[in-house]
Amino acid sequence: MTTLALSLTINGATHEVVVPPHRTLLDVLRNELGLTGTKENCLEAECGVCTVLLDGVAVNACIVLAAQCRGREVTTIEGLAAGGELHPLQRAFIDRGAVQCGYCIPGVILAAKAYLDEVAAPSADEVREALAGNLCRCTGYQKIVEAILSVTETR
Amino acid sequence: MLARRGVVKTPFRGRIMPPVSFDYHEPTSVREAVELAARFGADARFLAGGTDLLIQIRRGQLRLRHVVSLHGVPGLDAIEVDGAVTLGARVTHRRLERAPQLGGGLQALIESAQVVGGHQIRNVATVGGNIVNASPAADVVPALLALDAEVTCLGPGGERTRPLDGFATAPGVTACRPDELLTRVRFRPLPPHSATAFLKAGRRRAMEISLVCVAVRLTLDASRERCLEARIALGAVAPTTVRARAAERGLQGQALTAQAAREAGRMAAGEIRPISDVRASARYRTLLVATLVERALARCGERIRRTA
Repeated sequence: MTTLALSLTINGATHEVVVPPHRTLLDVLRNELGLTGTKENCLEAECGVCTVLLDGVAVNACIVLAAQCRGREVTTIEGLAAGGELHPLQRAFIDRGAVQCGYCIPGVILAAKAYLDEVAAPSADEVREALAGNLCRCTGYQKIVEAILSVTETR
Repeated sequence: MLARRGVVKTPFRGRIMPPVSFDYHEPTSVREAVELAARFGADARFLAGGTDLLIQIRRGQLRLRHVVSLHGVPGLDAIEVDGAVTLGARVTHRRLERAPQLGGGLQALIESAQVVGGHQIRNVATVGGNIVNASPAADVVPALLALDAEVTCLGPGGERTRPLDGFATAPGVTACRPDELLTRVRFRPLPPHSATAFLKAGRRRAMEISLVCVAVRLTLDASRERCLEARIALGAVAPTTVRARAAERGLQGQALTAQAAREAGRMAAGEIRPISDVRASARYRTLLVATLVERALARCGERIRRTA
């Protein structure tokens, strides 16, 4: 089986991996690099738990080949806290009780970050639409939306 | 941590399959991409957004020896407006949604791009992919059909340009050959007093495959009363996206009244033979077509008169 030697930039650090071309970014993050904050579930780009940022844009890591990430910046949930300080979104999710089982939360937070980087002061409806690609089976989304809006209000 | 190495799980089918790998190619020009496709033929596919291709590969529905990524191919992601509008095959749904050049009369394109998947999908899924994937329920394709779009494919023998109407021949099948690359889709500027609208029915408002979708382009006369020309394109009602030609013809020369819009919806519903499936019955799809065509025509009328 052919393999590719890939140099990947993840959360600002360079990682060298050797993998067959069909391996996805999600697979490499979790199973080669031990970055298990990015979750695995449907593997069909339906649920959003594997959301990461690729050059700042939210994508489902389950349908991105690792090979496609050469020369690009990948940000996972592990890369969001800077210098030991939680990202304001992470802080808000804790403060507002927006986390229940937590499985969807890394993807939700990254999708929210990408959206807020683009739209500074969205409405509640716009936040809900921005999270259309992230399924949460616990919270009913209400506290998630509140947590995201609380960050925009404090800016 | 590495326990699953060597197998690919398909959670919804309960089957364990051997790993299916392929050779990965990253051409840096359109010419090189087409040469690779010509060399590998049906053993290869182009990879753009991957939202369909990589899922089909993982499910084992598609076994390829070669994947040719278009990521490093320049010149496929431009939106050019020079009277006519040209969309490169790799223009994403996200770019369509945010393209200010596509406002006004081209509203249906933005409206169709906005309802595809969630943001993560729209950030990577491409116009070209939506066309060549040839889903009967494609959303952007009906909007392009309503605009009389043409598609251009590049192959070893050069470029071929032909109407998008008829390009898809069956679910997942188009007139694009394995050794050809769909490079762009193009449509002419709308005549004066024209508008477009796109409406989609799903079981919920997001992340949904259309039960039915409808794109309409309407051109009225200078008085903004009489219909000079209409295009009505439908998704999820036939093996391919289709036009409702009888309804289009029926509108020609008619005053655009509520009655005329309702009659056009009725005619469109009469010329389709949708299937019943897990998402909706044929009868419900037929009712949806009648209603959505009527509403989309009314919306076009409002849009034309608003910009008077």
